[in-house]
Amino acid sequence: MKIVKLKKSNLHPFLQAASQDAELWAPVRQKNNKHSFQPIKDFATIDLNYTRTILPPRKLFLPPQFNMFQASLQGYKEDFSHVSPKVIFGVHPCDLHGLLIFDEFHRQNFEDPYYLKAKENTLIFGHSCWPDDKCFCQSTNTHLVEEGYDLFFSELDDYYLVWIGSSRGDDCLRLAPELFDESLSEEDIKGYIAWQEKRNQAFKLKINFFAMPDLMELRYHHSLWEKLGQACLSCGSCSLVCPTCNCYNVQDQPLLSQDASNIQRCWDSCMLENYSAVAGGENFREKRSQRLKLWYTHKLQAYISKYGKPACVGCGRCIATCPVDINVFTVSRALEGEEVEAFWNRLAKEVNP
Amino acid sequence: MKGKKLKIGIYELTGCAGDALMILNCEKELPAIFQAVDIQSFLMAKSDNIDDELDVALVEGSVTTEKEVEELKDIRKRSKIVVALGLCATVGGIQARFQDPQKWQENFRQVYGETKMELPAVVSKPIDAYIKVDFYLPGCPISKEQFLNFFTRVVKGAPPESYPQPVCVSCKYKENDCLLKNGLFCLGPLTADGCGAVCPSHNLPCVGCWGPVQGGNWTSEFYLLQDKGFSREFIKKKMANFAGTKLSEFWKQFDRRD
Amino acid sequence: MKVEKKTTLTKNPFLPDPARIVRVYPLTQDVKFFQVRLVDINKALAFQYHPGQFAMISILGAGEAPFSISSTPSRPGLLEFCIRKTGTITGAIFNLKENDLIGVRGPYGNGFPIEKMLGKDILIVMGGLGAAPLRSVLLYCLDNRDQFGRVILLHGAKCPAEMIFCQEFQDLKKREDLECYLTVDTDDTGQWEDNIGVVTTLFPKLKAINPEQTVSLVCGPPVMYKFVIQELLKLQIPKDQILMTLERRMKCGVGKCGHCAIDYIYTCLDGPVFTYWDVIHMRELI
Ligand SMILES: Cc1cc2nc3c(=O)[nH]c(=O)nc-3n(C[C@H](O)[C@H](O)[C@H](O)COP(=O)(O)OP(=O)(O)OC[C@H]3O[C@@H](n4cnc5c(N)ncnc54)[C@H](O)[C@@H]3O)c2cc1C
Ligand code: SF4
Ligand code: SF4
Ligand code: SF4
Ligand code: SF4
Ligand code: FES
Repeated sequence: MKIVKLKKSNLHPFLQAASQDAELWAPVRQKNNKHSFQPIKDFATIDLNYTRTILPPRKLFLPPQFNMFQASLQGYKEDFSHVSPKVIFGVHPCDLHGLLIFDEFHRQNFEDPYYLKAKENTLIFGHSCWPDDKCFCQSTNTHLVEEGYDLFFSELDDYYLVWIGSSRGDDCLRLAPELFDESLSEEDIKGYIAWQEKRNQAFKLKINFFAMPDLMELRYHHSLWEKLGQACLSCGSCSLVCPTCNCYNVQDQPLLSQDASNIQRCWDSCMLENYSAVAGGENFREKRSQRLKLWYTHKLQAYISKYGKPACVGCGRCIATCPVDINVFTVSRALEGEEVEAFWNRLAKEVNP
Repeated sequence: MKGKKLKIGIYELTGCAGDALMILNCEKELPAIFQAVDIQSFLMAKSDNIDDELDVALVEGSVTTEKEVEELKDIRKRSKIVVALGLCATVGGIQARFQDPQKWQENFRQVYGETKMELPAVVSKPIDAYIKVDFYLPGCPISKEQFLNFFTRVVKGAPPESYPQPVCVSCKYKENDCLLKNGLFCLGPLTADGCGAVCPSHNLPCVGCWGPVQGGNWTSEFYLLQDKGFSREFIKKKMANFAGTKLSEFWKQFDRRD
Repeated sequence: MKVEKKTTLTKNPFLPDPARIVRVYPLTQDVKFFQVRLVDINKALAFQYHPGQFAMISILGAGEAPFSISSTPSRPGLLEFCIRKTGTITGAIFNLKENDLIGVRGPYGNGFPIEKMLGKDILIVMGGLGAAPLRSVLLYCLDNRDQFGRVILLHGAKCPAEMIFCQEFQDLKKREDLECYLTVDTDDTGQWEDNIGVVTTLFPKLKAINPEQTVSLVCGPPVMYKFVIQELLKLQIPKDQILMTLERRMKCGVGKCGHCAIDYIYTCLDGPVFTYWDVIHMRELI
């Protein structure tokens, strides 16, 4: 892979050049010190000193709500208005892995044009990161990336090592070749290695991830699920913020003064009560515990068997989000046989007084 | 063509009339609404009201007098579809907080003394305490978008299947940082979505004005809030504000267990 | 390094094809029969499917839902559905008349494994609306009669008026190459000439079954499965030769919306047909 060097002072000029015919999106600090990918008008608002955005970058490819097509008796009119040329800067390795899973998911079986067209029209510039107490991508083996980006920016002292991941990424560099330095010095290489090692030591949160598939199987009927079900608020937040959750609902929204409807697609969550309800009053996951089991089967055991891997990339968003602390970490501890939270214990008493 | 139009009636019982007003507020869409249906009765908007057979009756407000009980039963008899419009009609509204007849009598006496009422009053109830309701459109007041969506589906002959979801879903669509997680008293997980999470989007916790969402986990959130340092009485009071009669059973069980 | 390949997307799997209702008539009080044809005649003829697959049907202003294809691919051109009125979309379908337009996408799902059924004895057990997917395979077997061994049909309904395709199946009884048994739980007409009792009361009437040689197909209301499967196991039909179609909520039919997930498979891709072996070794199937 080709690697070049970019002085930090050259970053904004480069982004300027790269996003000439596209909308630039990057992390911006929001209220409460949380971050979000936002369209950038002023480079100064880009804040790379972040760990995770509230929503993962998948919102840029399949937004929470959008129209798939307009239906009428005359026929169907596809609506791709959510697709526009974009450059996303500052995507961390876990989220790049999330997008790789999304790529595979939306390509397999039936290609999903709403995702794939948006993806085709987007350049992805990854960025290195530093873990906080909720990151555990090292445990999911998603802390490093080899693919899934056009360019990847490894931040070192006053420069970046820029990894060129695609031919389109290479084209971007050619827009402003004078900003880059093609020759890496011995120091640069040593600096990068030292940084890598330091980062490897920095992960505080560890999950014995590869024991999870067996534990999910062995404790499938364990009472821990009932306890979790008592605590869960069915708010759906965990799945809405997860970079690998794909569920959606479809609504036919007729227009008042025309014989036509907008067919709207919106994010759904398998934590919601009616998610698996069918005609005749049957609901296959009426209980919260059953809904949690489905989610954790996908995150900890295996997603669609074709992935051959669990669909958790260790981003820590469920940890940062769930109001009652049901998340990949606490559930993995519960699966290992530990009573984790006092809160759960009290609820457990509620279940078996 | 006129014969084919749906006959609609919009009625107001006890409430602030905010929901009916919200319909009138759909300024841009009003011509289309009047074009699409035949509005037989809408006291706030017109004077030549006819109380006849209806396809759809939209009823706002809770039931607080005996006369309203009769009126409501009459509306049901005349209408194919009855829709509860707004929080008061759906759960009884804020005025339904006192369901205990004795307490209610006390309050009543405190406010009105021994005055003899012209319209004998009853404990405030949602309309489904007296009649069958086909659809609910909660909100305090209802949202324009939600109303137009529902209304259009009804006009086209296919009222939507309900798919209950809490305010948190919209709150995440809007990419808000969770206030409950940060220790604030947010009722989003227990509240029916429909407002699009306006309050959390302005950094204000949800107070539950859309009423209880189906499947909400009140027990867990109660303990969670207690853990975060709120007093039992405070939590109960806040939770009861917009839940109307819908939580009576829950509180009975909850108090027995605790 | 993998270079981003430009996917040339020729087809949008979410777009339905317009179809016209050719015939519609009631089968029972709350089930109607619909015969539809894709408006584009080339697409109508090219619509290839297996018995047991389903299609997504959409009604403008109401939405989209999955329905089993009841017709057989051996009679191309027309698609047939039996639809029970249960809610919004099915209610809207019920209001449609001949010549009205609907949207159709599909076919989806795995369908019955016809290759594995060739040369075998076919034992079909259906209850109520279970006739919708199983009629397809029944007609397929009858249209290709020489490719199968015995074909046995057990069909049960609550009462004579509830029996879907009652006349069609009554006529089939006359066929010598089909062993057809009909039953109703209760006869409120006094005119019923066949068996009275639940569908399992038909099993004693069957001529001796060669279990290894038999593939059994079951579809009906959830309560029916338990009892029918007991009978099939008593007959010693191997677990992986007992096929059943399952229902889940479905919003896309193409493995994207997630609603039909069971453990880590999607019913719309890997189902709705499963073997009894799948059912006992997968956790969430029944
Ligand atoms: C593979 C498959 C084959 C089917 N074949 C037939 C058939 O041949 N004939 C037939 O009459 N029915 C069939 N069904 C069931 C049919 O899809 C539902 O009856 C229909 O979706 C109900 O839609 P509705 O809008 O009328 O009901 P709604 O008003 O939407 O709701 C009524 C009930 O249906 C449930 N429901 C809503 N959407 C779906 C959905 N997409 N999938 C399943 N349940 C849903 C709701 O939870 C609710 O309980 C099949 C279902 C599946 C999954
Ligand atoms: S399960 Fe949690 S940690 Fe894993 S990818 Fe999803 S949100 Fe991130
Ligand atoms: S696990 Fe937590 S975030 Fe997920 S639905 Fe339950 S309460 Fe909400
Ligand atoms: S802020 Fe309130 S509404 Fe939003 S996710 Fe948190 S609990 Fe739900
Ligand atoms: S209080 Fe809750 S339900 Fe009411 S408008 Fe605010 S966020 Fe919406
Ligand atoms: S129906 Fe959408 S994934 Fe199966």
